[in-house]
Amino acid sequence: MKPAAFGYFAPRDLPEALSLVSTYSSDGKVIAGGQSLVPLMNFRLARPSHLIDINGIGSLSGIDAADGRVTIGATTRQRDAGTHPDVKVQLPLLAEAISYIGHLAIQNRGTVGGSIAHADPAAELPVVALALDAQMHVQRTDGQRTIPAAEFSLGYLTTVLEADELLTATSFGVPPAGSGWCFSEVARRHGDFALVAVAVLLTLDAAGKVGSASIALGGVGPVPMRAGAAERLLVGEAPTDPVLRAAADTVGADVEPEDDIHASADYRRHLAGVLVRRALTTARARAAVAGNEHV
Amino acid sequence: MSATSHATTLGTNWVGQPLPRKEDGPLLTGRDRFLDDIGLLGMAHVAILRSPYAHARILRVDASAAAALPSVLAVLTGEEVVRVSRPQRGRIPLPVSPQVYALAHDKVVYVGQPVAAVAAIDRATAEDALDLIEVEYEPLPAVVTPEGAMAPDAPILFEEVGSNILWHDTFPYGDVDGAFERADRVVRERVTIHRYLSTPLETFGSIAQFDASTQTMTIWGSAHQPGQEINNVAAALGLSPGQVRMIVPPMGGGFGNKTRPIYHILIALLARKLAGRPVKWVEDRRESLLALCHAADGIMEMEAAIQDDGTILGLKFRNIENEGAGIDFAGRHNLLMLSNIVNCYRVPAVSYEGYSVVTNCCPVIANRGIGKPFMCLAVERMVDAVARETGLDRVEVRQRNFIQPDQFPYDTPSGQTYDSGDYPEMLRKALALLDYDQLLVDQEAARAAGRLVGIGIACGVEPAGSNLSYGMLISGPSQLLSGQGEAARVRMEPDGSATVYTGGIESGQGHSTALSQIVADELGLRPDQIRIVATFDSHSHPYTQTSGNYSNKFNGHDTAAAIGAAGKVREKLLARAARMLEVAAEDLELAAGRITVRGAPDRSLPIAQVAARAYWSLNDEAPDDEPGLEALHYYRNPRTRAPDAQRRLPVQMGFSAAAHVALVEIDPETFEIEVRRYGVVHDCGREINPMIVEGQVHGATVHGIAAALLEEFVYDDDGQLLTTSFMDYLKPSSADVPMIETDHLETLSPWTPLGTKGIGEGGAIVAPAAIASAVEDALKPLGITVSGLPITPTRLWRLASQGGKRYPI
Amino acid sequence: MSELTTISVTVNGEPREGRVEPRRSLADFLRQDMGLTGTHVGCEHGVCGACTVLVNGRSVRSCLLFAVQVNQQDVLTVEGLSPDGVTLHPLQQAFHEHHALQCGFCTPGMLLTSLELLRDNPAPTEAEVRLGLAGNLCMCTGYVNIVRAVLAAADGHAASASTAAGSETAESPPGALPRFPTGKEIA
Ligand SMILES: Cc1cc2nc3c(=O)[nH]c(=O)nc-3n(C[C@H](O)[C@H](O)[C@H](O)COP(=O)(O)OP(=O)(O)OC[C@H]3O[C@@H](n4cnc5c(N)ncnc54)[C@H](O)[C@@H]3O)c2cc1C
Ligand code: FES
Ligand code: FES
Repeated sequence: MKPAAFGYFAPRDLPEALSLVSTYSSDGKVIAGGQSLVPLMNFRLARPSHLIDINGIGSLSGIDAADGRVTIGATTRQRDAGTHPDVKVQLPLLAEAISYIGHLAIQNRGTVGGSIAHADPAAELPVVALALDAQMHVQRTDGQRTIPAAEFSLGYLTTVLEADELLTATSFGVPPAGSGWCFSEVARRHGDFALVAVAVLLTLDAAGKVGSASIALGGVGPVPMRAGAAERLLVGEAPTDPVLRAAADTVGADVEPEDDIHASADYRRHLAGVLVRRALTTARARAAVAGNEHV
Repeated sequence: MSATSHATTLGTNWVGQPLPRKEDGPLLTGRDRFLDDIGLLGMAHVAILRSPYAHARILRVDASAAAALPSVLAVLTGEEVVRVSRPQRGRIPLPVSPQVYALAHDKVVYVGQPVAAVAAIDRATAEDALDLIEVEYEPLPAVVTPEGAMAPDAPILFEEVGSNILWHDTFPYGDVDGAFERADRVVRERVTIHRYLSTPLETFGSIAQFDASTQTMTIWGSAHQPGQEINNVAAALGLSPGQVRMIVPPMGGGFGNKTRPIYHILIALLARKLAGRPVKWVEDRRESLLALCHAADGIMEMEAAIQDDGTILGLKFRNIENEGAGIDFAGRHNLLMLSNIVNCYRVPAVSYEGYSVVTNCCPVIANRGIGKPFMCLAVERMVDAVARETGLDRVEVRQRNFIQPDQFPYDTPSGQTYDSGDYPEMLRKALALLDYDQLLVDQEAARAAGRLVGIGIACGVEPAGSNLSYGMLISGPSQLLSGQGEAARVRMEPDGSATVYTGGIESGQGHSTALSQIVADELGLRPDQIRIVATFDSHSHPYTQTSGNYSNKFNGHDTAAAIGAAGKVREKLLARAARMLEVAAEDLELAAGRITVRGAPDRSLPIAQVAARAYWSLNDEAPDDEPGLEALHYYRNPRTRAPDAQRRLPVQMGFSAAAHVALVEIDPETFEIEVRRYGVVHDCGREINPMIVEGQVHGATVHGIAAALLEEFVYDDDGQLLTTSFMDYLKPSSADVPMIETDHLETLSPWTPLGTKGIGEGGAIVAPAAIASAVEDALKPLGITVSGLPITPTRLWRLASQGGKRYPI
Repeated sequence: MSELTTISVTVNGEPREGRVEPRRSLADFLRQDMGLTGTHVGCEHGVCGACTVLVNGRSVRSCLLFAVQVNQQDVLTVEGLSPDGVTLHPLQQAFHEHHALQCGFCTPGMLLTSLELLRDNPAPTEAEVRLGLAGNLCMCTGYVNIVRAVLAAADGHAASASTAAGSETAESPPGALPRFPTGKEIA
């Protein structure tokens, strides 16, 4: 299981990287953590002619919290993101999600940007990105653009990224203080990709009613999806058990999971409902009524 | 040589002590040398082209482009292999045997079957060259289930056999009809098991080098049974076994899986082609999961004739075993299940009908416990079914049917003699280990709160040692291979330390430590003075065709061979000391590094002084004495024999046993299954090294738990394997299994020198049954019974959501 | 074979140079070019953990890194835990005393993962150890004794299972083999 031969570049700065990415856009590949790409190469399921290693570009790594957003550089290691104080405090949903990714050694290498760019429909980070309405910052030699999470993934392992574009950072909006959150999933074993993953964010208004709800799911279709019907059903309601249950019950109809050897489509559909209800329950317990955040 | 007297006659009792292992040092420091750590000058590296089809005719193979690459040293295709080698034979000669070669030539019969091989300057280059080999296939319909393969219109794998049923037979023992006539009722069960594998962390491999001048092939290879491998290679290449030198470096686990002769033959053929250049192939994980081997899947139909009090009068079995596309192990799972089929129970009448069926799946080989995990699962499911049908408690049904302690040695209907055991006490202890009474109370409370909590109970025998005559049940009494034994050579060195060579193979079980303890007791030395040459080398190590590490045979056979050889050395040593001290040898004692005249502590000699003379002072020799202190012992189990007229024979030579109690909880919505506690009480007779014994129990039990809940080879209808990576073939991690709690019981075997019995396999035999039982118990509020493995959340949920009552659907 | 690149890597504290194809994995570089065969390869797709080494102090899969990627970086392999191959690191000692290895193939990866685990969390609970080691498969031990060994090493008393190894009752004959050292002797 040795990869096919390739040429290797380790650009030192972003312009150099962008120019390489553009030059080799037809059959080259960017390598970040390599935790998804290299297994594919070892199985010879991916045979890039060249690898452009972006790990040496300092400007692509790091975490910046400002103006109500936390921006995470593409090559920031998942482990560093998950343990970073700004993330733990401002984006506990993200920190919780990262704890479900693989194992420590995977998180030590795997990057936040790599996971988002790889777009595995069962991966945790794209689900959180969707729940938090993240913005993906993308550059090419002649320009840059920002793509909302909801528009980023197109299908199984495919995104709107063009072959000559590089994802440089992902920026997450910090939820209002007092928001309740919960990331949860069912996997066959600890550290496996999720059969179904759920990210939930809930805010309560001063009356204790749901001010806003964000529910994103992974593993239930070719791309992560928002449970729009459930969100709409919740907003404006008191988050009682029957309300949460009713919201969760709508999820099954929204998702389009597929069969694989680990879970049938209908089982995934069922899990989606169960996980959403449970995650909502946890998020409710973690949420504070507006104005009482510090109580 | 009686068991108990033996160890007590000697001064120091190293046997029985939990010594840390002497193997550990190099393994801990990364200085050990596994197969893939061996590099030789000029070594060529092999990659194997494998069939993408489960069943296809090969129309054309063109390897010329690959062969033309300067970095490619040799290419081998099926056509050439057929020309230059002889076909392989199954272990048990079949009435009509398919012709199997190291590479497919006219047809492929499973995905992953080797079709061509390339030797190149390195592995990556060899893999590159595979892309250049063109193979034209004509796909044929494939069949992956044994029942499908038995259908009249099924595609036939081996035309020369004319059917996919390689073997079928029925074995009635005792008055089966009478038992069913007398029965108050008959209970029926159908139990299935899937394909899984222990997957040693180190994969299989082979290195071969051919010396053309002497026509000698040296193979460094993964092997459990070196005698068999040497003969396989010799026969295929037309060499004498004496021209094949086999070296087995330390193995990173084996579990029976590293037994695929075609690979050693293939690498040897390449080595012969390269005449001198060493050739290496180490299987990668994908190749391993795809095509090394799987444990057989099977379908067992059973009927039990019972009395209303739960007493089992008779059992009928009909087992269909899926051999995959292999002939190596044809019939063996069946015969090994047959020979243990009453498990721990006193069942006077049994009939067993077995089918060995080929399908377009990966060939079947031995896997930890071979056949017995399914035996135990089937019988234990049946015992629980008896409890269900009679309304009796499942513990009570077991206690009622157990072979009782005063019945040992106990003859089973098929001709096994169980040596020792106390099954009632074993189960009592296991229940006490997890505080069963309290568990029942807690379970009731949990159930009242809507939780699905289950307690699993299973008992099983763990046989040790196989009388290889069992193949005669298929091939008749003319079969060459019979009995079981092992060989050992012990040499006391001139400094008084000792070196031991055996035909056994080490793959992690701590044999070196255990043998050191045994030989130390025998020679009055300390274990650290005993050197075990663990890397088997047929040029230095004695062996027979039955040698190796399989069938749990270490405890009774390897030990006996070593004790035999050490005993001979001791006699030589004492005879020499007797002359030096001018006393009779019978008056000498051997302990703590000295030879002392009994009752005269001042008259003694250090062992080393006597040993030195044996090598240095040859003038000392009595005229008919040999110099040196070395002895060879070929041990053969005296209790093996051929089948009798009723086709009874002792297949297994000793019987450990264990009782497992498992506590599981199932999420009532997601049907995720958590094993919360797990207890094992085992009886393997005398424990040579209790720490090693515990380790075997832990590891085997986790194998069994994972087989029941996680591990599964899945084929689609076209015979494509869908689980070819560790992302999809799910091994358990430390976060997926609980601590294994253990206790033990010791009933000594009267037939092994030290009273030992086997311990390597039991956990893997009983755990699948215990998990099935626990899950069924947890699902009791839903009325679901469990008749097959593996148990997965997605399937359980589907069954429950459809209101089904029997798992699998 | 494509072009070779020269790399400089600090391996177990020693500066090393190598010339590698870009596709050479760090695992193969360590094993085949550096002769450090203690790093094992069990799956080559990142799941088993047998190939775990520390790069700049962090556990990584050396089968998922190319050697060219660790140019100018610091690698610790199992050989680095015991430079002379005899003296055991306390973790190794704990593994020895608790019978935390059978075939030993997973052991190097387990040791390096445990090293990082205990560095980051010097007093883990059993559950934390189980989670921390979940990326390393062991096919032999059922993990029981590995977990015990790591907990014991955390406690700082890598002892207890047994120290009877050749407990000095018998007298050594002249020229006897060195005993396999027990923990006390090394400590
Ligand atoms: C054993 C194991 C278990 C795992 N378990 C999980 C899990 O449970 N959940 C989970 O989510 N993941 C899991 N992973 C995958 C892991 O999270 C990966 O790290 C992640 O999916 C990809 O990130 P990476 O940095 O390694 O990307 P790489 O593997 O380097 O790249 C992945 C893909 O993204 C592209 N890419 C990377 N960075 C950029 C960029 N900045 N711009 C444009 N394209 C880019 C690459 O070209 C490549 O196509 C597991 C991996 C392993 C080996
Ligand atoms: S060999 Fe690297 S994780 Fe298995
Ligand atoms: S000891 Fe064999 S794999 Fe862990």
